Amino acid sequence: MTRRVLVVVQRFGEEVTGGSERHARVAAGRLARTHQVEVATTTALDYWTWAEHYAAGTSDVDGIRVHRFPVASGRVPDFKEFEHHILFEPHTLAEEQDWPRRQGPHAPELLEFLHREGDRYDAVLFYTYIYEPTARGLPLVPERSALISTAHDELPLRLAPYRELFHLPRAFGFLTPEERALVRRTFRNDEIPDVVVGIGLDAPPAHDADDFRRSRGLDGPLVVYLGQVSEGKGCDELLGGWARMRDRAGAPAATLVLAGTVRMDVPQRRDVVALGRVSDEDKFAALAAADALVLPSRFESLGIVLLEAWQVGTPVLVPAHNAVTAGQTRRAGGGVVYETLETELTSLLGDRDRGRALGARGRDWVERECSWATFDERLLELVDLAAARDG
Amino acid sequence: MAERPSALVVVQRYGDVSGGAEAHARTLVERLATHLDIEVATTTARDYWTWANAFTPGLTWINGVAVRRFPVERGRARDFRLREHRAFAAGHSLSDEIAFVDAQGPIAPDLLEHVRARGGDFDHVLFFQYLYHPTVNGLPLVPERAVLVPTAHEEPAIGLTVYRRVFHLPRAIAYNTDEERRMVQRRFRNERVPGDVVGVGVDVPSDRDAPRFRSRHRIDGPYFLYVGRIVQGKQIRELCEAFARWQDRGGTHATLVLMGQAEMSLPAHPAIRPLGRTTDEEKFDALTGCVALLQPSLLESLSIIVLEAWACERPVICDARSPVVWGMTRCAGAGVAYRDPAELAEICELLIEDARLGDRLGALGRAFVERSYTWRGVVEKYLDLFAEVRARNT
Repeated sequence: MTRRVLVVVQRFGEEVTGGSERHARVAAGRLARTHQVEVATTTALDYWTWAEHYAAGTSDVDGIRVHRFPVASGRVPDFKEFEHHILFEPHTLAEEQDWPRRQGPHAPELLEFLHREGDRYDAVLFYTYIYEPTARGLPLVPERSALISTAHDELPLRLAPYRELFHLPRAFGFLTPEERALVRRTFRNDEIPDVVVGIGLDAPPAHDADDFRRSRGLDGPLVVYLGQVSEGKGCDELLGGWARMRDRAGAPAATLVLAGTVRMDVPQRRDVVALGRVSDEDKFAALAAADALVLPSRFESLGIVLLEAWQVGTPVLVPAHNAVTAGQTRRAGGGVVYETLETELTSLLGDRDRGRALGARGRDWVERECSWATFDERLLELVDLAAARDG
Repeated sequence: MAERPSALVVVQRYGDVSGGAEAHARTLVERLATHLDIEVATTTARDYWTWANAFTPGLTWINGVAVRRFPVERGRARDFRLREHRAFAAGHSLSDEIAFVDAQGPIAPDLLEHVRARGGDFDHVLFFQYLYHPTVNGLPLVPERAVLVPTAHEEPAIGLTVYRRVFHLPRAIAYNTDEERRMVQRRFRNERVPGDVVGVGVDVPSDRDAPRFRSRHRIDGPYFLYVGRIVQGKQIRELCEAFARWQDRGGTHATLVLMGQAEMSLPAHPAIRPLGRTTDEEKFDALTGCVALLQPSLLESLSIIVLEAWACERPVICDARSPVVWGMTRCAGAGVAYRDPAELAEICELLIEDARLGDRLGALGRAFVERSYTWRGVVEKYLDLFAEVRARNT
């Protein structure tokens, strides 16, 4: 049965980066194969200023009707101070309720659209709990809504504007079982059904690991980090652990390759190579060439790069304090969860058979769990739950 | 034995205030107080139109119940009628709706702060009436423990988008009637929210004295009674005109007695006797001696006065277009409905002429009330609903 589905997300488009936006775009595309899908979003490209980038109005993106609404106001200039005030200082309820507007994107016309046209859709899928289009939009169409919250264990999750959001939808779509556990624990909303949708993955593009090593002059064991190189992503901890391992007598010979935009000071060492942003082909070549991927970040809603490492049979190392990536790694059996990076990394680099076996298990898991068929089935179930009207 | 469960009650006005829903809230709270640790959070308003601050803010005790009053920062806006008009017009915007809820009031920010800060200390937060600012903005602060008593009826406001969340968020909904539940579920598709028809209880004093009422107001002969707010929305003008025409065209002499605050002008006619606000004692005295209670309003969610008439063994005459009142009356077999002024006159004549018919209908009404509207039964249903909410929160 073909349903009319609306996907609401703060940003939408090919150039848009960000995990939840990428998920929204993939989901809209997959759903469009069976349902009539439209998107309601803003004109923004950048998640900090929310400045206008796309033209307002209705257009076609990859065959999907996209309604873009102007951003009346982006993030307020003093948002950092406001954030601190709300999260750590006494404040009024009215100030707290103002969080979504001050954070942006404040797009009142998008909300008017939901008020006016919401009933035309059988199901409305809202992406990312924290932004105003979802926080203020979902309460307008609760009877046909699903929330793909992409929630982390972070302070804003407990703010007043989000309380109702986790009790209103007909269904939740979670990216991981850890996100589900967090939401259930925080809101006691067990009566609302959910689907852990995960993500579907295309087969990796053609890539050449040997060529990658050759062209960059990389020999011996390689450890790879992929993504933005910043303290926020835990790269300071990674570099600290790396130095402690390598500077010990008898340490395994190895090189740490950082692939991604550099947003921090990277120490000058012969065993650390920062490549900057790399192409998709090089990303997979780097992963295939690596003995291990390390993903040190504290917050991760899904950790797609783990899945990509497993696609090419490379084991991963993730910190125990990140429930999501640790959970993914344990479920897949595709790597090591560490308390102390240097200990586990030393041991993994010293036993290549173990590394290969872990990588192979990761690959089996990804092939099973991240196939398009599995993803489609879960998404369609989510839409069915949102569109159900009979209690 | 476990600790007594606790409940915070949020209602826009409480105590010595007019209004059926508020009176119902107070009676219910006082009955529940024997089973729960209960506290009321309300405003300092006495009157529902201006919401002007009349009571002192702070903690007070009313009949053994702790009541915290919070000041009204903004009462009903001067341009409320305009806001209402815009929000009810076809093709209105979401911002029209938000402006309507704000203009309607009462806006009491400290009350909302209290719900946020203290709501979590109670097992339940009971919200009375879906319509007003404290419920619309307070319920979303404590959805996991909220129980809503919507007292909803078919009216333009209930069609607004801003009210959808109010009917999807609570842990449970206590409907006053089956008609109310059907209407709400049809509109909002919120069957997933557990909802029970809890009804209301009716108490009438036993020392009712109709002659006392007649002599005090010098009313002779048969009389019909209306009790409630005298406002245009309740079809009072139409009722008075129909009654006057019947009398002017040679109908059997009878009086229409109106009890309640007049908020509109009434046609001057010797057969129409507005008495203004009266005491409960006078109300029950008057009910006991009337030919029938008239309930012309089309918008009642549950007419308590109809139940009280039945408890006094008197029949009810209502408008056939009123889904709830006529639905209940038909179900009780305790009254008659009219479709136009001529039928109203015929019914009045018939009941005057055949006093035994009125008594028979009244007796059926009494039996219906005893069957379905005892406070013991109502309180039990609330306690069951609360127990269900607690079970889901532990």
